[in-house]
Amino acid sequence: MHRSLTISAAPIDEADLVAARASSTTMGAAVYFSGIVRGSEDAQPISALEYECFRPMAEHQFHRLFDELECRWPIASVRLVHRIGVVKAGEASLWVEIVAPHRGEAFAACQWLIDEMKRVVPIWKKTLPGQPVPRH
Amino acid sequence: MQIRVQFWSYFKELTGCAQATEELVEKATIADLLQRLHARFPKLVSMQNSTLIAVGVEYQGRDYVLKAGDEVSLFPPVQGG
Repeated sequence: MHRSLTISAAPIDEADLVAARASSTTMGAAVYFSGIVRGSEDAQPISALEYECFRPMAEHQFHRLFDELECRWPIASVRLVHRIGVVKAGEASLWVEIVAPHRGEAFAACQWLIDEMKRVVPIWKKTLPGQPVPRH
Repeated sequence: MQIRVQFWSYFKELTGCAQATEELVEKATIADLLQRLHARFPKLVSMQNSTLIAVGVEYQGRDYVLKAGDEVSLFPPVQGG
C-alpha cells in the first residue's frame, strides 16, 4: 500500500493533490475528504483555529493507523495531509484520500481513518475569536 | 530516578509550564507520578479522568512502571481534524 503523510503549516492545495494521484486500472474508487474550518464554534464567530501537534507521536500514531488500515481493507493508497498552526475559517485543515478497488471499502476506510485519528493522534486545536474573513 | 514530563495543549496553561521534572523512586508507576504532579499542579486534578498519558510516542496506562530516562507526556483528549 502506498502511504503519504504530511503534517505542515502550508495551505492544502487540493487541486495539486488530486493531480498527483497515482492509480491503476485495478482501482475502481478514489475517495477523498476535505475538512474545512467553520466560521463559528459553539455559536460564536471565530476567525481561525490554531492547531498544535506533538509531531513525533502524531507521526507514529498515524503510521500505526495506516498499518491497521492495510490489514482491514485492500487499499492501494492512502494520503493524508493535516495542517498545524493557524488555519483561517474557510480553509482546509485536513485532507484524506483512499484509493481502493471498490467504493465500499474506500468510503469505509476513509471514515474509519478520520474517526480513529480524532481518537488517538495527538493534535489539538484552539479557537481564535473574531469574525471570519469572507472568501471569494 | 529523574522523569521528564511534557504538557500539551491547555495543560500548559493549567500548569503554567511546558515541561517539568520529577524525582521518583525505582519502579515507580505513572500513577505515582500523577500523584506528585497533582500535588504540584492542583489545576490538573479536575482533568484527571480525561488525561491521556504517553511514554515516548506510545500511550500507557497508570500501572506502567517507569524507567530512568522515560519521557512522559500528559495531555487532554485529542482534537485533530
